[in-house]
Amino acid sequence: MRLALILLLLTAPLSATADWLWGGADEPLPQVQVAEPFVEWRTGPAVGYPVFHTSEKGEWLTLRMRKTSWLKVTDRKGREGWVHVDDVQLTLDGEGEQVSLSDPRFDNFSSRSWEAGLMMGEFEGAAVTAIYGGYLMTRNLSAELWGSQVLGSASEIRMVNANIVHQPFPHWRISPFFTLGVGHIFIEPKATLADPGDRDNSIGHAGLGVRAYVTDNYFIRAEVKDYKIFTNRATNEEATEWKIGLSIFF
Amino acid sequence: MENRIKHILLTVLPFAGLLLVPTVVSAQEDDRPLIEPDVRPQKVDEALIDTENFEIGAFAGILNIEDFESSFLWGGKLTYHLSETFFFEANVGFAEGGETSFEKLAGDVQVLSDEDRDYRYYNINIGMNVLPGEAFLTENYAFNTNFYLIGGAGATDFAGDTRFTVNVGAGYQVLLTDSVSIHLGVREHFYRIDVLGEEKTSMNTEVSGGLTVFF
Repeated sequence: MRLALILLLLTAPLSATADWLWGGADEPLPQVQVAEPFVEWRTGPAVGYPVFHTSEKGEWLTLRMRKTSWLKVTDRKGREGWVHVDDVQLTLDGEGEQVSLSDPRFDNFSSRSWEAGLMMGEFEGAAVTAIYGGYLMTRNLSAELWGSQVLGSASEIRMVNANIVHQPFPHWRISPFFTLGVGHIFIEPKATLADPGDRDNSIGHAGLGVRAYVTDNYFIRAEVKDYKIFTNRATNEEATEWKIGLSIFF
Repeated sequence: MENRIKHILLTVLPFAGLLLVPTVVSAQEDDRPLIEPDVRPQKVDEALIDTENFEIGAFAGILNIEDFESSFLWGGKLTYHLSETFFFEANVGFAEGGETSFEKLAGDVQVLSDEDRDYRYYNINIGMNVLPGEAFLTENYAFNTNFYLIGGAGATDFAGDTRFTVNVGAGYQVLLTDSVSIHLGVREHFYRIDVLGEEKTSMNTEVSGGLTVFF
């Protein structure tokens, strides 16, 4: 018995390496025991799919795959179905303790460390599409990188920007913030215009906006920014932009 | 007397011990449940559960480019499922504009250079699964399906310029397995164009089908 245990311990690291190499096909999938009177199984990963089976208290389920908030489970008899993560949270693991799977909530929103999103709006009357990614250094302060494309009737503008964001009330569900940053603007006038000279200039910008937590791991973000374009002519230019979009956090 | 005690201690007790051990072991065995659960006392390691919220794939179809005939369209798409209902979707597509009626009738005229006829678009959309369902193929197979609506914006690079483009559409997804699906969809792309005189809204209809893989 002891010998077998030693052998098992010796081979365990080997098999772990093999699993890492070959995708862990032999890795035992996590199993949970139903602790509530029953859990409902659906035919697909959404509430719209019908309930076709239930597992009773004490039955063991194998967790095979996750899609958004749904887990694909199988039971002893090889049946397959989808159980909501909230129901799986109420099951017990092999040690008899309650299972804990990540299930993003508002608490996670205020303690997030990464966010990314897509926003659309208007930049001086022209349509703007922007994507961004941000890292939260503290609960109040984050750093962000942006890429934007502005498509107007006279020109196409591309911008890259970096800014810091300060949110004074990180624990609010609807949390306002202020931004300050710098970047670069590339302006390419339309081919049909008389003077198609490309320009690229440095820009500085300040803005304010709001993040509003929706559900799971996403939130709506809206903001207004004022850009100062540092031209090499006598005067600098100014531009105002507003955007609204959807972001996710991790 | 002393000898007898020695005899008992040295010979009888060890035997008795030997006899006792198996009975203790068999008593332990008897305590076990009749059917032993095939479960190791393990915590649930979330990293072992495969999360499949991303979808990547390719599509092909027909794009009707207003004033410039219909042509073959191909492209790629990346989807991220936020929840069972909502998803983000990014597409890139490539096609080539044909000839306007004017060019065909007038003969030796060209409105656009060959290079300017290359039609490229990208768009980023928000999608919504509105009608989840199942499709039954014979009595043995059922496939999960989704009917979804989509809307978003992006840009179209055609006729020498990049134009802001809005697109709306609908699609039907059939999940062949939990990880592989086929899509059939219709989209309408709108942008403002002034290549043929006055600026107008160009309507471009896309009909396409694709294959995607979840990861």
